[in-house]
This record gives sequence, C-alpha cells and structure tokens, in this order.
Amino acid sequence: MRTRPALVTAAFVLAAIPLSVPAQGFVPTKPVEFITHTGVGAGGDVLARFIASAMEKEKLLPVRMHVANKTGGGGQTAMAYLVEKRGDTHTISVYTGIWISNPLMLPEAKTTMKDLTSVIRLLGEPGLIVVKSDSPIKTFGDFIEAAKRKPGELKQSGSLVGGRDWVLRQLIGKQTGANWAFIPFPTMADRLGALLGGHTTIQLVDPQEAGEHIRSGALRVVVQVADKRLGPYPNVPTLKEAGFDVPSMTLYRGVVAPPGIPREVVAYWENVFAKFVQTPTWKKYLEDNVLEDGFQRSADQSKFFDEYADTMRAIFRDGGIKVVR
Amino acid sequence: MDIFGSLLQGFAVAITPINLFWCFVGCFLGTVIGILPGIGPAATIALLLPLTFQIEPTGAVIMLAGIYYGAKYGGSTTSILLNVPGESSSVVTCIDGYQMARKGRAGPALGIAAIASFIAGTFGVIGLTLLAPPLAKFALRFSSPEYFALMAFGLSMVVLLAGESFTKALLAMLVGLWLACMGIDLFTATSRFTFGTPNLLDGIDFVVVAVGVFALGEVLSNMESRHSGQMLPVPKGIRNLMPTWQDLKDCRFAFLNGSVTGFVIGVLPGAGATIASFITYGIEKMVSRHPERFGTGIPEGVAAPEAANNSDAGGALVPTLALGIPGSGTMAILLAAFILWGLKPGPFLFQDNPQFVWGLIASMYVGNVMLLVLNLPLVPAFAQILRTPAFVLYPTILGISVVGTFSVSSSLFDVAMLAGFGLLGYTMRRLDYPAAPLILGFVLGDSMERSLRQSLMMSQGDLSILVSRPLSASMLILTALVLIVPMFKQANAWRLKAAG
Repeated sequence: MRTRPALVTAAFVLAAIPLSVPAQGFVPTKPVEFITHTGVGAGGDVLARFIASAMEKEKLLPVRMHVANKTGGGGQTAMAYLVEKRGDTHTISVYTGIWISNPLMLPEAKTTMKDLTSVIRLLGEPGLIVVKSDSPIKTFGDFIEAAKRKPGELKQSGSLVGGRDWVLRQLIGKQTGANWAFIPFPTMADRLGALLGGHTTIQLVDPQEAGEHIRSGALRVVVQVADKRLGPYPNVPTLKEAGFDVPSMTLYRGVVAPPGIPREVVAYWENVFAKFVQTPTWKKYLEDNVLEDGFQRSADQSKFFDEYADTMRAIFRDGGIKVVR
Repeated sequence: MDIFGSLLQGFAVAITPINLFWCFVGCFLGTVIGILPGIGPAATIALLLPLTFQIEPTGAVIMLAGIYYGAKYGGSTTSILLNVPGESSSVVTCIDGYQMARKGRAGPALGIAAIASFIAGTFGVIGLTLLAPPLAKFALRFSSPEYFALMAFGLSMVVLLAGESFTKALLAMLVGLWLACMGIDLFTATSRFTFGTPNLLDGIDFVVVAVGVFALGEVLSNMESRHSGQMLPVPKGIRNLMPTWQDLKDCRFAFLNGSVTGFVIGVLPGAGATIASFITYGIEKMVSRHPERFGTGIPEGVAAPEAANNSDAGGALVPTLALGIPGSGTMAILLAAFILWGLKPGPFLFQDNPQFVWGLIASMYVGNVMLLVLNLPLVPAFAQILRTPAFVLYPTILGISVVGTFSVSSSLFDVAMLAGFGLLGYTMRRLDYPAAPLILGFVLGDSMERSLRQSLMMSQGDLSILVSRPLSASMLILTALVLIVPMFKQANAWRLKAAG
C-alpha cells in the first residue's frame, strides 16, 4: 500500500521528463529502436538495416540503431506498436506507402498516419513496365493499342487490388479508355514467374528486383514510370514522354516516430537525416538501387501524407473499392 | 564448362575446413530448430542473417542452406515421438510415425525417417546438379490453371486420409478451407473473417493451427487417462531401436516415390514441401497392396512424407539459383540474403558466381552425409524421451508449443488462438474427427482459391482454361480417378456382399 503513491509519483516524473528536455538539448542516450513492418530481407528491412549501418559509419549518431521487425497486418502491427510507444524519444520507424493506403480501405486497420509523428521523407521508388522479350509489344503505345483492340484479353501480373500497380492501371485505363485484366499474385516470385512463363503480358517492376532479368534479355522495358529517365535505361521513354499524362504514383519511403514526442526531438531527427542524405554513402545507395531522392522535412511530409491519402481515396472510389476512412 | 567439372570445383570449395565448419554449424542448427516446434528455418535464417555479414558469402550460404535442409531432418523427431509437428512439412509424418511410437517402434520410425531423409535429400541435390536450368524453364510453364489442378489433386487426397467416416474427413477439410480464407483478399482489397481485428489481416499462421490441433489436442486428450508413468513403451536393446531389414525393404518404393514427387513439386515456386508430403503419402497409399494398414503405424507412412520434404529442398533451390525466383518462402529470404551480400540473384548467378553456386551445391552432398551421421546415433537417445513420466512430459510439450508459437511473430494473440485450436483438436479427437484433412484444407485452400480466380481472370471467365492445357488437364484426370476409383471398389464390395 505504501509503495503506491511513490510509484505514481515516479511514473508521473518519468512521463514528464521528455517534455522538460530543453530545446537544443535532445541527444539520444541509449540505443535507438528502429522499426520496420517487413520481415528480414524485404524492402523496408533492407532500407532500415542500411540506414542503421550507414549512420554508424558516418558517425552521425552518438548511439547505435538496432532494427526491430514488427511484421503483420499489412503494416498495422508496426503502426500499433509505435502508438503504444507514445512519447518514446528513442524509437523511430521506416514506413512505406501502404501505411497510408491500407487504413483507407481496411476497416480493421485502425491506426493511421495521423496517429504518428512525421519525421522525414527519404526516397521514392520508380518503376519500370516490362514485357517478355519475345512479346510483339515494343512500346507502351503498342500495348495500349492492343488492349483497346481486344478489351480484357491482355493481362498484367499484379500485386494486389489497391497496390501501386493497380492504381497505375486505373489511371492509365481511365486516360486511354483501354481495358486489360489485372491479375493479383501474392509474391514477387509468382508475378515474375507468370510474366516470364508467358502467362501474362506486362508487369510493373521495381528496377532492382527485375534488373538481372532485363540484363539477361529475358525482359524488355517498354516504359519508365518515373518523372525523369533512370540512369541504367537512358533510351526508354518515361510515361509522360510516351504520351501518357498520368502521375508516376511513386512509392515513397521515409521515417516516422511515435505520437506525443516533443518538437525538439523531431527537430533533432530531422537534422540528423538532413545531414545523412548529403553523405556519399546515401547517394551511392540511391544510385545502386535505382531510387529517387525523395527528401522532405517533417511539415512537408505531413502535407504529403494528407495529399497522398486524398489522391488514393479518389482512385479507390473510382475503382470500386469501398473507402472506409 | 561441363557439370562435373563445375561440381568438382564446387567440392574444392565445399571441403575447405572453414566451409566444412559452416556446413556443420548449419546442419546442427537446422536439426535443433527442426526438432523445436514453431520456430522454423525461415525465421532462423532471418535471425542469423545480420550475423552473416561478417563471414564470406559462400560460407554463409552453405550454413544457411544447412539450416534449411537440416530442419527437415529434425522435423520428424517430435512428430514421431510426441505427435507434435516440428516443421510444417512434417505434419504428415505424425500420422503413421506417432502410431509406430505407440506400438513401441519409435526407434525404427526415427531411423526410417533419417534414412529416407538422406536418400531423398541426396536425390534432390543430384536433381539440382544435373537438371537445374531445364527444370527451371519447365517450372515457368506452370501457371495458375496448372497450380489449380495440382491443388485439386492434393485436396483429393482427403479420400485417402479419411479414417472410418468419409463425412467426418470432409467436414474437417472444409473447416481447414474456411480457416485458409481469412485475411485480406488480394482480388478485392477487402478483408474476410477478421472479426474486426487487425491481428487476423494476414490470416492465421500455419504453426498455430498445426501445433494447436496436433500437439495441444494430443496433450489434452492424454490428460484424461490417470496413469502418470511412462507414456509409451520403449523396448530395450539397440537392435530394437533401429529399423529392421524388412522395414527398409517395405519402404523401397516410398523412398523413390518421395524423392521424385518431392523434388518435382519442390521445383514449382507455388507449391511447397507440405503439399508434396501430403501428395506423396496419398500416392503411397494408393499403390500400396495393403492400404488399410496406413494410419496404423507402418514404416512406408513415415518414409514417404519424410523423403518428400527432404527432396523438396533440392527442388526449391532449382528456380532460386537458376532464375532468381524463390522456390519457397524460406528461399525468398535466402535470395534477400544474396542481395544483402552484394550478389545479384538471377539468370546470371551460375555464370557470374560459379564458386558460390557450385560450392553451395557440393556442400549439400556433404551436409546430407553429415546429417545422417548426426541423426542416426541420436535415434536411441531420442527414443528414451518417451520414458519420461507423463507429468513431466506433457507440461514440457505444452511449454514448448507456447514458446514456439510465440516465437513466430511475438504475438500473444497467436498464443490465445493456439489454445483455441488445442481445444478444437481435443474435441475432434473425442468425436473421432481426423485432424490431417483439416491441415490439408488449410494448406491448400488459399492457393487453390487464388489460382482458380487467377485462371478465370486469364480466360475472362471461361472454365475451359482448366482442361484445355495439357498439364492441367492430366492432373485433373488424375484427381477424378482418385475420387472415382474408391467408389467403384465400394460398389464392387457391396455387390459381392449382396451376391454372397
């Protein structure tokens, strides 16, 4: 009985500490937990591990970052974990586009980006639309023409309804009036396998996952889904250059923090990452993996979250997906 | 360069002391995690991945692959001794393996499992060595209609898994199919049967269902009997703990069947070792001269699925190495490791990194020998586990099951579901419902539904796509035969009865 008031006081004091940290004074004092919603070896995890080791190499942090995989629920497990960590100044997380789009269509996905603290946007993933090399389709225009001639007969290897590749299909379909089947496959292996086996016609790939198949001549790039031509593919037009005026719907990745952390902590992380994106290590990483620089500070990124969610809402409604938020 | 030259070079890499060491570490770790239910090779490889940056990629891949195929050796141990599937692919081994243990033949069952694993594991590597590039091309011809036909064939195995009542087996299978469709539906972006909780958005993990229904169900139903002594008989003397010559002769066909079926299904990226072991078991029962003895504890029933899930390992590496397309979930993590090590998986891997690829393949020959040498002497030791008094053993199984399930995704929700499935398994046992059809439905349901919907999208709703492609048509004919032949037999039996 006697211990309870003491505990309450202690808890109160502990809870109050983050708020009392002076403006420039925040510096992490223990290892930072760096969350990703993907399993080891998948996109978000690779990025998180790269950042953790590069931060150490560039000596930008006084402490180490250790990567923790909170997988499941299409990102929701990781998001819910961050909400639980409210006020924790030593936890940050990488996010990807599905953190914004999943809550729009899944009633179970209760945590949204509004529940988290925006820190920084880091990179954008461009895409390539590829066909099997023995396909008669040489340009993206050929594909659209063929799709118009035989509505519904051409097929796209896809990820899932609501995914980026599905969104692009909706946008391009709407602009051109062409219609083709979007066939979802759960893993990259299934998608690429169906395309390489000649069972589907086109696929939106990220340059890194299909690079070797393009290099070997098994796949041909017909158009780039990027705002400007990517380094390794100087001779392939972008969507806009090919005459399709649709947004690239680039998939962005960046960093968010738990809710309820003080301004100066956000500012600290912002500055660390602003220095980080200037390092040659980071620039080489972007180049090696054919990624776009997507740098945005906290406030801009918050605006981006809202805009992106609005865009997606409109596209989902248009495509017959029930929008729940 | 010809294959044998390359392989010899591979051996030169694989038998350097340091790589032999990594191979041993991998095989040993694999055996251990194979024995423990819950934590599987995929999770272990993922956990160890960050540590592998310190060592040279060839050594690292030799170790990680060792974990992958080593786990398949270990997986059978708890299936046989405790009816707890150590790995997803050893669920089928429980059926006859545990019955053998109940008859006091745990030792021979473990021995058969190790020998079947060795034979089929080596067969799988030989297949990988000789046939990787052409087989990888063959795998690409498999698409949704073919996968649907394969899954339908797999599902028809329920006829062979049914015990006394076919109706009960069908009901159990339907529950499995229902459980399989929980989670986000890729085709409509809606969630199904999640009951409003984000915990079910990804569906239910296989470990939760299999460990719950098999292990917990078994523990609960054994608690009913009051005796607290040794749970199962263990004969004395090393001779009684090893398979007899007759056992091995009985298993001749099972070794071959498991090796070939497991390898072929392993090559297909969309079908894995669990499906392979179910199908092999079904084939074994179909061609057997005494099908009625399956499920009562016969060595073929252990040899077939164990062979299949080991030969699958070699098969799964075929598309992984030759095309850069992972042949299974674990292979996907291995591929991610390749990228993290700075290699480029894809069609050029054989050409650009021959030392790496051939070193890995050669190490698998070595690893399979190591595993046999490691596992056979352990058989008598493991068989002694059954001497443990029930009041120690059952709580231990319970503890291992809970920890194993928790380790999959650190979720207490999963542990609660494990308890639920334990009760389900117990109830099914009490009411005489077989558990294997439930697992079969659960394993196949998702990919079967998906491949059917994909096929119909490809053909714009025309069902003939399923029968107009030769591969899929022939598998569907086989499926029909599996379903129809027993009916004729039954009709014949009735006629004879009426006549006599």
